[in-house]
Amino acid sequence: MLRVTDLHAKVEEQEILKGVDLEVGAGEVHAVMGPNGSGKSTLAQVLAGKEDYEITAGSLELDGEDLQEMAPEERAHAGLFLAFQYPVEIPGVGNSYFLKAAVNANRKARGEPELDAMDFLKLLRERATLVDVDEALLRRPVNDGFSGGEKKRNEILQMAVLEPRLAVLDETDSGLDIDALKTVAAGVNALRAENRAFVVITHYQRLLNYIVPDHVHVLLDGRIVRSGGSELAHELEEKGYGGFDGARAEA
Amino acid sequence: MTSGADNRTGPYLELFAGRGAGGPVAARRQQAIERFEAAGFPGSRDEEWRQTNLGPILRARPVPAAGGALGEGGALPFLYPDCDRMVFVNGRYAPAASSPPEGVTAFSLADPEGAGSELLAEHLGASVDGRASCSADAGVHPFAALNTALFEDGVALGIPAGTALERPIQVLWLSAPSADAAAGDNGAPASIEVSFPRLLVVAGENSQAAVIETFAAADPAAGGYFVCPAAEFVCGAGSVVRHTRLQADAAGAFHLGFQHARLDRAAAFESSSLAFGGALVRNDTVALLDGEGADCTLDGLYVLAGSQFTGNHMRVEHRQPHTTSHQLYKGVLDGQARSVFNGRIYVHQAAQKTDAKQTNRNLLLSKAALANSNPQLEIFADDVRCTHGSTIGRLDEEALFYLRARGIGFEEAHGMLVHAFAREVTDKATFEPLRRDLEARLFASLNGGRSNGQGG
Ligand SMILES: Nc1ncnc2c1ncn2[C@@H]1O[C@H](COP(=O)(O)OP(=O)(O)OP(=O)(O)O)[C@@H](O)[C@H]1O
Ligand SMILES: [Mg+2]
Repeated sequence: MLRVTDLHAKVEEQEILKGVDLEVGAGEVHAVMGPNGSGKSTLAQVLAGKEDYEITAGSLELDGEDLQEMAPEERAHAGLFLAFQYPVEIPGVGNSYFLKAAVNANRKARGEPELDAMDFLKLLRERATLVDVDEALLRRPVNDGFSGGEKKRNEILQMAVLEPRLAVLDETDSGLDIDALKTVAAGVNALRAENRAFVVITHYQRLLNYIVPDHVHVLLDGRIVRSGGSELAHELEEKGYGGFDGARAEA
Repeated sequence: MTSGADNRTGPYLELFAGRGAGGPVAARRQQAIERFEAAGFPGSRDEEWRQTNLGPILRARPVPAAGGALGEGGALPFLYPDCDRMVFVNGRYAPAASSPPEGVTAFSLADPEGAGSELLAEHLGASVDGRASCSADAGVHPFAALNTALFEDGVALGIPAGTALERPIQVLWLSAPSADAAAGDNGAPASIEVSFPRLLVVAGENSQAAVIETFAAADPAAGGYFVCPAAEFVCGAGSVVRHTRLQADAAGAFHLGFQHARLDRAAAFESSSLAFGGALVRNDTVALLDGEGADCTLDGLYVLAGSQFTGNHMRVEHRQPHTTSHQLYKGVLDGQARSVFNGRIYVHQAAQKTDAKQTNRNLLLSKAALANSNPQLEIFADDVRCTHGSTIGRLDEEALFYLRARGIGFEEAHGMLVHAFAREVTDKATFEPLRRDLEARLFASLNGGRSNGQGG
């Protein structure tokens, strides 16, 4: 489904991704772990099409299509979703209005009929219940004044409403209490399906108890230095990233 | 200020000479033209005017706009349902298109009735031309004085004490310039059709009224006309007066407007000034808080593209204790548009416990757009709260990316963010047809005025 090959990206003349290879198949859940500043969010943002980053080498493909050729909205239409590490506050744009615009923009792009107000509301209520988002948050401006946890839940709500094929969750677990974490995980697990895949960026093994990954990758200094099964996450939790210095030196 | 020998004033003085000087306000008209003659048009060193390029207007010879020939239904696109209304074409009353409110004094200034004459004699022009209006340093407003001297028609509304009007009154000022205005040197027209719409609202004690003024052109592609309106509001004790001013003139129009409100004890004046049209536009607003507890809210929105210019010059005077004023002006500028916001708050020594707030925010959509914001606070009382803030910024790229990452296309995402910026002002329109009209105009100007819509 997703194929990242030897990806190099830089921002302001500083190389941040230094040759990332990542292949995600349909139905799979991949976890990406790594210390602060190793390039996890950069990878996520590059996937979503953020223009601040310049891709200097390598390729990005979703279902065989070159993502670099696509605008951010076209990537979304193709089924890519990024849950932002830092969701953006947008005063003046109502949350449910925004969600409806997003749903219908995607439907339109895919040649599906747009949802009317009634049908959309039904969908929204259902998904809001699924990820335990308070209706009051739907009436407020997008993320405006939301608490950290509310913002993360709102990301998961957007994912649940948009039903992407590939969801990249950038530290959606950070700042969540255990109940919120369980709800977020339940939302993700409810969406798990054969034709859908997840890339879960996290610092903590904790989340991976609830969303059990098929593959775990360690991103260090702009490269994936090790990949393994879910046991790798436990190892990281115990030993930290110190043991990978060698791998980094080798690579 | 320039001297009386200013040769640009001549054609306007001739306009005055060419009219009959009778009527209940003859003396005030005479006084106004004398003041105008003495003061002349502002020169380039006049602080209040140096950022407004009057050249294109003053180079042209003014001719009075021809009387109102309006085709059947010509005013319809601009009229709101559930309103009483008075329609003017080229500054002259069009009774067939009008349905004035009942239970109040409402008449065309060209046709003052018996009781109306007294209203005019007492109030019309009593404050506008600079005499009673401002502190010593506020001179004659040349265009307000011209309006007083030269208006041919307009509206006077007298709201009896204790009366609350249920429906808004819409006053439509429709410009329908004749097509033969020839272009002169430098692209400026050799002659320019000018009208002087005049509005007087006298709100009795504890009365309530909402007035919506709409300035529009029968043909939005019309150019080269000049509207020079003036509006006066006399807000009696405890009255609540709402004034909306929608400026949707043709793209080539010149519009230099003046409005003046005097508030008595505990009166509330809420004004909303929305500017979309015109090539060169000024809105000068004076609010005098002249009674204890008086409260004014002055909101504005200007949405500009191409080479449009709009200036908003505010003067709020707190003259009595416990008076409050809130100003919120927002601008959206695309293309090479320019704007000026001059917000002067003047707190007199007697006006303790004044609460004044002024905010001007500008959103620049293009590199060449330019917004100026100049707050000016003059405070002579010691126990007051005055705050002001002004910002000039660009669209939030992070927010734009966030919306696009959710599948919302560049154009739509862009529109959503601009709308989000502007709605702080437009949402305050509680009259539903007006609010919808504002939204539609906002979207139309965004789509019409944008040039750089490429995606990523
Ligand atoms: N727009 C930018 N401008 C300058 N530097 C940037 C920018 N974005 C990222 N960086 C730098 O790139 C490096 C990688 O950042 P990134 O956000 O990808 O790390 P991360 O792995 O997500 O870290 P964290 O775990 O703290 O979220 C950091 O050194 C960061 O400062
Ligand atoms: Mg990060």
